[in-house]
Amino acid sequence: MKRVYYLLFTLLITTTLFGQNVVRYDLHVRDSVVNFSGKEKRAIAVNGQIPMPTLTFTEGDIAEIHVYNHLKEGTTLHWHGLYLPNKEDGVPYLTQLPIEPGKEHLYRFPIIQSGTHWYHSHQGFQEQIGMYGSLILKKKANDPTFRKGIDDIPQVPIVLSEWTDYNPKNVHRLLHNASDWFAIKKGTTQSYAEAIKAGHFKTKINNEWKRMLAMDVSDVYYDKFLINGQNESQLSQFKAGDKVRLRIANGGASSYFWLKYAGGKMTVVANDGNDVEPVDVDRLIIGVSETYDVIVTIPAENTSYEFLATPEDRTKSTSIYIGEGIKQLVSPMPKLKYFEGMKMMNDMMNMDGTMDDMGMEMSFQKMDMNAVMYTEISGKSEKSEVKSDKEMTMNADMDMKKMNSDIVTLNYAMLKSPTKTTLPKDAPVRELRFELTGNMNRYVWSMDNKVLAETDKILIKKGENVRITLYNNSMMRHPMHLHGHDFRVLNGQGEYAPLKNVLDIMPMETDVIEFEANADGDWFFHCHILYHMMAGMNRVFSYEDSKPNSLISDKVKAYKKLQAESNQFHFMAENDFATNGNDGKAMLQNTRWSFGTEWRLGYHDEHGYESETHIGRYIGRMQWFMPFIGFDARYRKLDSGEVEENIFGQKSTKDKRIQASLGFNYTLPMLVIFQAEVFHDGNVRMQLMREDIPVAKRLRMAFMVNTDKEYMAGFKYIVGKNAALTTHYDSDMGIGLGINFNY
Amino acid sequence: MLTVMFASFTLSNAQIKNQKIVSEKILGNCGICKKTIEKAGNMKNIATVEWDKETKMATISYDAKKTNKEEVLKRIALAGYDSNSFLAPDVAYFGLPNCCQYERVSKTAISEKPKMEMKAMMKEKIKSSENTKPLSNVYSNYFELKDALVASDSKSTAVKANDLLAAVEKVDMKTLDMDLHMVWMKILKPLKEEVKAITTSKNREDQRFQFVDLSENMFKLMKSDKLETTIYLQHCPMANDGKGANWLSKESIIKNPYYGSMMLSCGKTIETIKN
Repeated sequence: MKRVYYLLFTLLITTTLFGQNVVRYDLHVRDSVVNFSGKEKRAIAVNGQIPMPTLTFTEGDIAEIHVYNHLKEGTTLHWHGLYLPNKEDGVPYLTQLPIEPGKEHLYRFPIIQSGTHWYHSHQGFQEQIGMYGSLILKKKANDPTFRKGIDDIPQVPIVLSEWTDYNPKNVHRLLHNASDWFAIKKGTTQSYAEAIKAGHFKTKINNEWKRMLAMDVSDVYYDKFLINGQNESQLSQFKAGDKVRLRIANGGASSYFWLKYAGGKMTVVANDGNDVEPVDVDRLIIGVSETYDVIVTIPAENTSYEFLATPEDRTKSTSIYIGEGIKQLVSPMPKLKYFEGMKMMNDMMNMDGTMDDMGMEMSFQKMDMNAVMYTEISGKSEKSEVKSDKEMTMNADMDMKKMNSDIVTLNYAMLKSPTKTTLPKDAPVRELRFELTGNMNRYVWSMDNKVLAETDKILIKKGENVRITLYNNSMMRHPMHLHGHDFRVLNGQGEYAPLKNVLDIMPMETDVIEFEANADGDWFFHCHILYHMMAGMNRVFSYEDSKPNSLISDKVKAYKKLQAESNQFHFMAENDFATNGNDGKAMLQNTRWSFGTEWRLGYHDEHGYESETHIGRYIGRMQWFMPFIGFDARYRKLDSGEVEENIFGQKSTKDKRIQASLGFNYTLPMLVIFQAEVFHDGNVRMQLMREDIPVAKRLRMAFMVNTDKEYMAGFKYIVGKNAALTTHYDSDMGIGLGINFNY
Repeated sequence: MLTVMFASFTLSNAQIKNQKIVSEKILGNCGICKKTIEKAGNMKNIATVEWDKETKMATISYDAKKTNKEEVLKRIALAGYDSNSFLAPDVAYFGLPNCCQYERVSKTAISEKPKMEMKAMMKEKIKSSENTKPLSNVYSNYFELKDALVASDSKSTAVKANDLLAAVEKVDMKTLDMDLHMVWMKILKPLKEEVKAITTSKNREDQRFQFVDLSENMFKLMKSDKLETTIYLQHCPMANDGKGANWLSKESIIKNPYYGSMMLSCGKTIETIKN
């Protein structure tokens, strides 16, 4: 849990030059080994720290940040939420080239805003393994927006994050291969056995009929959740009566966090670095990469109060205790009820995989889809009434219920800027609309069903107002982040619409944002869930007639490289070593293409040897249809003269058969894959197959039947991430027991 | 052979490795407390807790490489039991069975006090409004009934419906204004039937079904009345088997009586009644 080493060599040199403060930081990026979970794993530390050191500036300063890359790979740093010249924005292949190993890079820009921000690596998966830190921009003392009791009280930077023992590249690969290992680790397989136990068999059937896999609010299993790099810590410098401003940034790669405080309500005073009118809440959810400033009060002597951050899937949590003395806990978030959520999703999912909002016009986080999955008021109450026979407890119960139903949860509609945020009135308006789209089964995340690799930069003009309508037609929420600009969220606050740079948008919500195009260069607009971004849920806004970027000589080539970054091929392979033969497959896939080969190798000639290779392309938004070309090779020794006949009466010998074919896969309801194939000798084969039917938490069933009169049925018991025990019966090879290894 | 191997395996594992034993005071009263405390603290092969109800002392043995004393005490506190390191959340403490509601040190007094005041204040509020408007009792009972549905509590829904019925019967029609009187006459019969149906039904779904029409009638009434406070007519398109249904609320925040916690925030305000 403790960091292995802390070596601090932050040099902070302040010089006064032409009346402007130059504030210099030196950041040394190094490979390091950490132990958050009981196992030593690779991480990246900056100046020996995880999170990276907190950088503090005052509005009007000039920031001078020297980055020394001691890694064996490239890196960049992105200053999240800051207005700055395009070439300082830190997006590799868009605003600069990666800082090469052993090289130094200088980021230098004037600080022209204030507020709570953060910074992180924008290269590959480095953000997941330690490259995130707090970036605090203070107001000048004579700032007209300076607020007494808010801007002048003690403050603490809080960086939320998560840790996985798996290499994040591998995490990403597993997500693309629809591995349910994370679900097993989280206990969210939602198998048939579990569904029946919960009385939700029909729900599960309905769910699979609509071709959905088990649903979850987040995708990755994490070993630890952290506040400022620790699972639990205490701020004992504060005493009873103190007010403390927490400057919270969510530096997690893919986790939303619920925030709760044991010492009463929290006052939200800023969001994404912009002031908002103070609002008292009992809890709030902070989206990936959002920042919130909240003020908490320590209500009693000799007590420290828990500030609890619970990831949205509620598997674990992390706490920081504010104050000195005995620790007052806050009640944890109740566990999610997945089948309730599944039932509701079923109702809202059309048969073609799109979502139906039933005319509810949802927006601004007001209706929490996850609300169906946990009990807020009911559930427990009836039971405790039975238990209690005295009136006293009855009253306590009633009070509890009152307390619960009065819980105030923050949503975007409650955010209001203290100052007018209207855009220039006479500027031309540019309307854009994006539909957020996704496909959980193949982990494809996109906008308008296109990943970055399939789109050009979106051109905008300096001086126009850009208004974007976003509609989330996917099953997950997405924190959409715009670089270099704050946008107004049109949330019903009129001229006082809040300014943000990250918009969390829940399934089926429609939100409208607008910003003044007042910069120059290329700006990334993307989902900030790291694994969604790396799957291609990105766009680039590019100012027409931008000045050339001195850090990128060939912009066209660089953009191709950027596109390729989020459309990489993923490899998977598995082989079943069984008593009756070897069964296996290997696949290489990206967003649209699939290169796959399957083999069945017997141990002697009568059982035969065969392989099928398919090169296909997934078509459509849900990717249920995949036409392919194939190559089959088989060898099987049949008794002399024996000829196999399929149900169409077409004959073939399996004796040394090499065939090319055309065909397609189509995913039917219940996730059964229908395959039709025509071979070059005119033979036709049709096949129904499903693998990985979740019978119980770790037990999967598979079956296959085709018009060559071949069939197979089997069970698989998942032992570990890469291993399973199997048994199957195959019409060619008979019954077998085996061990399955997969990568 | 295999069984022997397994047996030895379990045996060696039954003991906690890297064992460390500490003694900690944990507040509690009875045998039920002992069970709850130990169950909350225990973790297979990692920690065991033994609590003595006389001395209030717990003996905690744990695997020092895998956990620590704080983690064990935190789990126990989350189950409702205070120790020297942690104070249980109020919700967990009040959720304990009667016999387990041990006396809390000072903390209890602080959190109890404002609650009592709140209750007294609420009672006064109800009293003061009693005299002013002839229908205010009907309204307040309707809102309480709605809250019971929000809480998905069918028993208290029936109780509240009974109160509402009593309030309806108590209304002296002569004190009503002309217009209001007309509306009252029109809705009185169906209104009474709907409320009666709720009182006799123990089934949450039936109660909610009746509440759809009840709310419509109540809306007609409130619209014709001169109200002191702002009332919100709210709508959920999913309720009533997808036909949609309305309800009335004193606050603009959505708390859906048709689904309770399942979809507490489903819906939107479609009309605001102000006077």
